[in-house]
Amino acid sequence: MKKGYLLLLLALATPTPAFPQFFPYTVAKKTLKNQLDVIVIEAPEFKHVLSYNTLVLAGTRNEIEAGKTGLAHLFEHILFRHRWKGEVNGYDRAINRIGAFNNGWTDFDVTYYHPLTFTSRLVPHQGEPGLPQLEADRFQHLDFDEEIFKTEAGAVFGEYRRGASDPGLKIREQLLTLMFPDHSYGHTTIGYLEDVKDMPNEYEAALEFYRTYYRPNNVVLVVAGDVHSEQIFALAEELYGSWEPAQLPSIPVRGTAPGAKREHVTWGADVPPRISYAYRMPAFQPASAEGAVGQMLSELLAGKTSPLYQLLRYEKKTASQLSVYSGDYESFDPRYLALSSTLFKDQYRAKGTAYLDHVIADMESAFEALKRFSQDPDASKTLEELKGKYRYDLLAMLDSPANIAMQFAWYYRFQRSPRILDLLADAIQALQPADIDAFATRHFLEKNRVIVTMTPEEEQ
Amino acid sequence: MILSGKHKSFLGSVLIVLLGIFYLAAQPPGKPGGMTVVSTSSASLLIQISLMIRAGSAHDPAGKEGLAYLTGHTLLQGGFGNPADPVTKEQLALMTRPWGQGAKPSVRVAKEATTFYITVPGDVLEEYLNRVLRPLLSQPLFQARELDRIRAETVENLSGALRYEDTEGLGLNAIDHFIFEGTSYAHLSSGSVQGLANVSREDLLAFYTTHYRPEYAILALNKGDATSRARVSKAVEKIGQGFDQTAKLSRAALKGPLSFRGRHAVIVSVPNADSSGLHAAFPISVTRHSRDYWPLYVANVFFGVHRDGFSHLFREIRQKRGYNYGNYSYIEHFASRPRSLFPPFNTPRSRQYFSIWIRPVAHRYALHLLKGLTWELENFVREGLTEAQVAAAKNKAKVLYLNLAETGSRLLNVRLDDAFYSQSASGYLDHYLERLDAVTVEQVNSAIRTHLKTENLKYVVVTHSDQAENLANQLAGDLPAAGKSLEEYQIPNIDHQGKEVHAISPDKLEILQKDAVWGSYRLGVPRDQIRIVPADRIFETGEFVAP
Repeated sequence: MKKGYLLLLLALATPTPAFPQFFPYTVAKKTLKNQLDVIVIEAPEFKHVLSYNTLVLAGTRNEIEAGKTGLAHLFEHILFRHRWKGEVNGYDRAINRIGAFNNGWTDFDVTYYHPLTFTSRLVPHQGEPGLPQLEADRFQHLDFDEEIFKTEAGAVFGEYRRGASDPGLKIREQLLTLMFPDHSYGHTTIGYLEDVKDMPNEYEAALEFYRTYYRPNNVVLVVAGDVHSEQIFALAEELYGSWEPAQLPSIPVRGTAPGAKREHVTWGADVPPRISYAYRMPAFQPASAEGAVGQMLSELLAGKTSPLYQLLRYEKKTASQLSVYSGDYESFDPRYLALSSTLFKDQYRAKGTAYLDHVIADMESAFEALKRFSQDPDASKTLEELKGKYRYDLLAMLDSPANIAMQFAWYYRFQRSPRILDLLADAIQALQPADIDAFATRHFLEKNRVIVTMTPEEEQ
Repeated sequence: MILSGKHKSFLGSVLIVLLGIFYLAAQPPGKPGGMTVVSTSSASLLIQISLMIRAGSAHDPAGKEGLAYLTGHTLLQGGFGNPADPVTKEQLALMTRPWGQGAKPSVRVAKEATTFYITVPGDVLEEYLNRVLRPLLSQPLFQARELDRIRAETVENLSGALRYEDTEGLGLNAIDHFIFEGTSYAHLSSGSVQGLANVSREDLLAFYTTHYRPEYAILALNKGDATSRARVSKAVEKIGQGFDQTAKLSRAALKGPLSFRGRHAVIVSVPNADSSGLHAAFPISVTRHSRDYWPLYVANVFFGVHRDGFSHLFREIRQKRGYNYGNYSYIEHFASRPRSLFPPFNTPRSRQYFSIWIRPVAHRYALHLLKGLTWELENFVREGLTEAQVAAAKNKAKVLYLNLAETGSRLLNVRLDDAFYSQSASGYLDHYLERLDAVTVEQVNSAIRTHLKTENLKYVVVTHSDQAENLANQLAGDLPAAGKSLEEYQIPNIDHQGKEVHAISPDKLEILQKDAVWGSYRLGVPRDQIRIVPADRIFETGEFVAP
């Protein structure tokens, strides 16, 4: 049945399949002389759609200097203020004239820029530049001044304030600080509040960040949609060929384990209590057995069919929400996996800290149970079902050129293989119950653990 | 093998036999009870099924706000099949697990529609229809303990998360509530704290038997072939027939008068708001069904398109002055803000409102920017748009198409809205680009003048409890209010012939001049129309402010 399914995929999407594959699109790759990787994903069913994405391999992780957190994210903002042809907001105006949806995001390891337009905009038209020209220009010849920088730093502060009404940010900040005492993963992407406030004064540092990391050997171009690889490769040669590579600074990978920490924070309003229960994880490799286990953990720990979810939400009714975000683990250097729960206000009022302790004990048991996962008589069946779920969920996410490119880029950075999503799917397929036991035993250790709890202030 | 051995059933054959009996009792196959069926033709291996019921929170009876929400969610989680041996939500989760997350149905409850979503691998469709979809829709059990659990979680979210964890969401929901104050349209789609408490299992049955009927249902399928349409229709058409007829509820969506006169303001005070979010709105008669929809759409893209640096409001308030993260306007309610970049489908409304949203700004600028946003709107109506501005807005609006039509799910789900607005013959996205092309500058300016009237306006400000009283007094006094200072605009002092003077560049001068105009604008909100409302008094009952 599985084979039939895969062959059908191939028949739809790939003219000359070399091997059975999961990813239903043709991927072409070319590395320019300056080491810029150019990836083209041909998805002609999305007619006239051009998804043109630039992945910069620099993010929060590269903010290694104290007092200068949040620069990667600030730089994402600055890139949109590029003075194309020397005109203030010239890039933004040109984008509006040619017509493109344009946005970007910053994460721990990467910054991603993802304009979306019509394929007719690949080349200049009626005196307007093509989208690739505009993109190539801002990544290689960014033009901005201190005034633009200061205005944008103000907007970032606004963004911080906007996010600051979310208690989750406060928990995350505390969690990261405890989890990474000596690594740049110890602060959030937006940066520490005091650094964000001071950003207007960090013009020089920001410029240095750009000069260092916005280099072809640190960038991947991913183009998807109704496109042809040969045309994109030719454009890339023409527009990015003269971009100078540079030596990249190495990021100090410090391995200090947090060492069984538990901290409590409060919130100035009547919110439900929360618990974030996290373990430090190994560095992520998508095509490895450990990486594949990592992909299963959110379901095993917090999925709607997981024992803990059933226990907390339905049997004991001690939590209203339970979640794991596996993206927290998908990083170059060792990061973490957090099991987060939202509790009930009235139970906390009635029972106080004992209520939190009780839920924490249940969360702990869920992590411990994975060390004996294979002993469960249903282990194989459960795992097979979760593999099926993973596969269909990933397939369902590949539903537009932009989403296809983003999923691809997110995993591509780890192994630089055009087959990365197939390698990931293969690793999932090869998983055995004992792999879960091994992973849990190796990493769910007391020394790797951080717990952060939050309750409303007035209850203290 | 992924798929081997996964079909082992918890149910055994009992359910299948029951289904057989049920078939006999149901109406004969043929035209599916007036149900509308729409489809796309996707090549995907995954089948998508969306089912819209034309009833939502606006159909909640007074005092039972949340009934539509609880009905939709308890239908999915309250078990189905044989009451003696039900398929519980836990079993449903296990049963659907190998087929991916989308195989476990989800629901969105809006004002006038409740929509269910399913994605299932094509090769298990028949099994899915027989074991899940058909019995789920026609034999729901609405188990009381599940109702109680969902209710408790919904109340927790309304009374905690929405009031105190997301000041932007609080403001957006508050203005939606305020604008429809006094009507059945006002309360949130998830209900009110006290309304939710009043809902019983019998109420769910009444709502289900009244509204969950083929004649009020629209089915959307991403496979257009006759066989697929017939198979899925057949599984869905039994909806609403699992119970003897109980009490009938009203089918009217909008009960109560909608009009108000003059300007009104509500200041929502929150103990932990570190900045102030601003909202302004008034009802409009334009919907997607209206002739003026596309001209007004183009006008609004120019004035305040959501999350985009293109718009006038964004440029004036964020880009030129750096007050906040963004500033937008809308001609239709936009659900799922602040998270979503683009409006989700399946929240259709026969009543719409125009609104402006100024994202949180430092408290001290709140009054200045309330004046500024109102002046900008009035000026927009006064001046209209030029040919070049309309062309630029049309160009931007075309780009939005790339996002609105981005995924297969969106292309499918928009067809439900088309059917709701009676556009089935000429779909919203199918003709989006050509309708934009046809819009003229005369139509745009006429639509602006006809529909954007600023004399009747409602404002909501979400701010810190310490600021509320002061802001209310300022608003009532309506004195000039300053914006950013010269220092904040980084205007340097220079020495000019022995005197220290401000060196103001032409673009900064333009900003300062307009600031003066904004600051001296009079809002004219009468003191008796300014209310301060603590966050814990809203969403409490069907009234905008709980007594």
